[in-house]
Amino acid sequence: MVITVLGISGSPHRHGNTETLLDSFLDGAKAAGAEVGKVVLKDLDYAPCRGCNACHKTGDCVVKDDAIVLFEKVLKCDCLAIASPIYTMGITAELKGFIDRGQFLWARKFVLKTLYFTDEHIKRHKGLFVSTAGQNWDHVFDGAFPAITAIFNGTGFEYYDNIIANNMDEYKGIKNHPTAMKEAYEKGQKVVAVLENLNKGPA
Amino acid sequence: MPVKVLAFAGSPRRGGNSETLLDWVLASMAKEADVTVEKIPLTEANVNPCKGCNACQKLNKCVQRDGMDIVHDKIIAADIIVLAAPIFCMGIAAQAKMLIDRAQVFTSRKYVLKLPVVPVERKGKRLGIFLSTAGQDWSYVFDAAVPSVKCFFNVIEVKDRDVSYLMINHVDEKGAILDHPTAKADAEKLGAAVIAEIRKRLAA
Repeated sequence: MVITVLGISGSPHRHGNTETLLDSFLDGAKAAGAEVGKVVLKDLDYAPCRGCNACHKTGDCVVKDDAIVLFEKVLKCDCLAIASPIYTMGITAELKGFIDRGQFLWARKFVLKTLYFTDEHIKRHKGLFVSTAGQNWDHVFDGAFPAITAIFNGTGFEYYDNIIANNMDEYKGIKNHPTAMKEAYEKGQKVVAVLENLNKGPA
Repeated sequence: MPVKVLAFAGSPRRGGNSETLLDWVLASMAKEADVTVEKIPLTEANVNPCKGCNACQKLNKCVQRDGMDIVHDKIIAADIIVLAAPIFCMGIAAQAKMLIDRAQVFTSRKYVLKLPVVPVERKGKRLGIFLSTAGQDWSYVFDAAVPSVKCFFNVIEVKDRDVSYLMINHVDEKGAILDHPTAKADAEKLGAAVIAEIRKRLAA
């Protein structure tokens, strides 16, 4: 079966550093034989979570918009790459707005107990976080990881790897970074190979 | 000396736990003489997300015309700025992150254009408060929100040491904070303490 890879770009800025890095990852995955798709959050029409907790009773979100459609897509892919630049020491508001809308899945898992991902399922679903930051601080991504962990947990993905590059302000763009683009491409190839092997099952 | 307090209620849920905490702080401030308090619920503020266009690095203003036009001036005018927001999915709610990211215009002003964000005589005379609530009982549930909040206050010229925090975990359903043993008393104490501090600073 063909491995499906979904990239979600959370940057408001088209074809900037983060989306370019995501593209390199997706190119690598495609070269390895995966079926690859990309969704750009800024082109979607969705509202942030209202915090109404209606989903705690029904397991469904009362707001019907593009976020729900995208969560359905997320639940169907084998590999999920979530990309966001770092703005003000965190992920973008666009991506946070999308992640927060996953509350209905959390409700299904922990309140209603109608959704459960087996360890085997989680092992066969790999999640990667793709990010760039202008700052050169090593800890510049630390505020992003917990929300990324939250969406991978909520959607049944193993948080498999990061593809992150800081100091963009000094490099003047991702294309001038010595290793990031190649690393992203190779990680795209590698994750597809790993998933294919897992699907073959025990030898 | 009059004190201006500007507060943002950053939750999509009106009258929920983080806004209740905010209301306790603001009520204790409003009791003091010569204090004006303004609360802006972000659900009604019409503040869009940052486009990441970096135009503010050249223009010293944002290219977007929305509620931030008003909020921007109010942020500069205030002596005390209070941000209240719940934790969703281990981070600050998206509505509050929108406001924080739109402070990019202040970042550009301060660090790229090297222009004053507030008149030089008001530096060190601005205080900040971050209030938050979270459903989870994990002690580290606020960890990812704090760096963004620190950045926000730093670029609007509130020094790191001048920001106070009151973050209450393990309050999930609306109204849960009403049963918290210390939240209300801590909020009222904080409000009074920050007003006392700003009076000292403004008189100096």
